[in-house]
Amino acid sequence: MLEAGLCNYVLITYGHNARSGDSMKKLLFAMSGDDAIFGHFGATAGYAMAARRAMHEFKTGPQTWKQIAVGQRKWANLNPRAMMYKQTMSDRDYDTAPRVVEPFGLYDNCLISDGGRACIVTTLERARDLRHPPVTLMGLGMDNPSADLTRADYLAGPTGARRAGRQALKMAGITLEDIDACQIYDCFTYTVEITLQDYGFFQPGEGCDWLRGGTIEPGGSMPVNTSGGLLSEAYQMGMTPLTEGVMQLMGRCEERQLGPQTKTRNPEIILCSDNGGILQSHACYILRRV
Amino acid sequence: MTYTKPLPQINPDTKDFWEGCRSHLLQIQKCSECEKPRWLSSFMCPYCLSTNTRLFNSSGRGKVYSFVVYHVAYHPSFKDDLPYVVALVDMEEGFRLLTNIIGCAPEEVHCDMEVEISWDDVTKDVSLPKFRPVVRIHP
Ligand SMILES: [Zn+2]
Repeated sequence: MLEAGLCNYVLITYGHNARSGDSMKKLLFAMSGDDAIFGHFGATAGYAMAARRAMHEFKTGPQTWKQIAVGQRKWANLNPRAMMYKQTMSDRDYDTAPRVVEPFGLYDNCLISDGGRACIVTTLERARDLRHPPVTLMGLGMDNPSADLTRADYLAGPTGARRAGRQALKMAGITLEDIDACQIYDCFTYTVEITLQDYGFFQPGEGCDWLRGGTIEPGGSMPVNTSGGLLSEAYQMGMTPLTEGVMQLMGRCEERQLGPQTKTRNPEIILCSDNGGILQSHACYILRRV
Repeated sequence: MTYTKPLPQINPDTKDFWEGCRSHLLQIQKCSECEKPRWLSSFMCPYCLSTNTRLFNSSGRGKVYSFVVYHVAYHPSFKDDLPYVVALVDMEEGFRLLTNIIGCAPEEVHCDMEVEISWDDVTKDVSLPKFRPVVRIHP
């Protein structure tokens, strides 16, 4: 539409009072349908079902997911806008958190937040005249396996992330080696693991080793969810990864800014993901600083 | 005592299934075009879109594909059941259903565990297909 001249600026926006209102709870409850007969409700249990199957098929579990929850919290502790800015999380905090729907405990779940996000899309030509440095879209991929849980065969991977990731990298003309950081849709800790695994950052079951030593944390070799993400900043649907990816490349992230001050690479290319249903739909997109 | 948990929303698609349950029969739809069984019931085959369907009785035996253990009651009527198990069970005939695993402790449940049907008559009109571990009697 921008290229065709139908519009000049496109505003992508989101706002929700999910925490103070009850619409999110109602939505999740309504989604349950007849699953409620068996006491099966909401998204946590759907992803927990996927995560449990993954534990059976390859080496994963709370020891892997802990490194995601704790690692992302360290980013949130650098982000004054994050709901968890002032709350640190230790390994012990994660281990001793209340069980919610096993195999998930409290900190495997994302937050429920009040808030809003916005992002403006325009042509590169127009963007060059604006106040902030432009960020371009290098590649995009989507894949929607989209079957009901009782017919899903992708819960332990490969999810839609496999094909979507390949498409996005191909369109961008780059490989994973070129990625400086990731902003992954992290409704649950396991979602981050299976997404990175399906993109090819590590082989099935090697996530625990790949994450060890703070790979995704400040100072790490592949920073992930540098705002704290949905787990520790705020749940703003796919807008949390999108806005963080864009702002990092613009250099607007202050204390958590990627680069020398967080002992990470200066970001030039950031890979982001979005995900819907119970791993039923997936989008991967790659952003670049111009 | 009144049953306070959610009951099935029976509609023309799912009527046959729940009527079967009432007589303790696991009546499952099978597509007459592509021969794939499906659960829950639906007007159209989700694999080939055919509306040509017949019913068959499942053996009621299968294996746990995956399961979760609830420690939180999302509906107050489940509070007394905590912790309880919800599972996806892969049935012998090649379809998968959502159910509860009963008759064993949650920590005994595992993926690929063999299970068999155990009817739970929750009201005079509704029986729910639940599953329990297969008990093997060793000589
Ligand atoms: Zn068919």
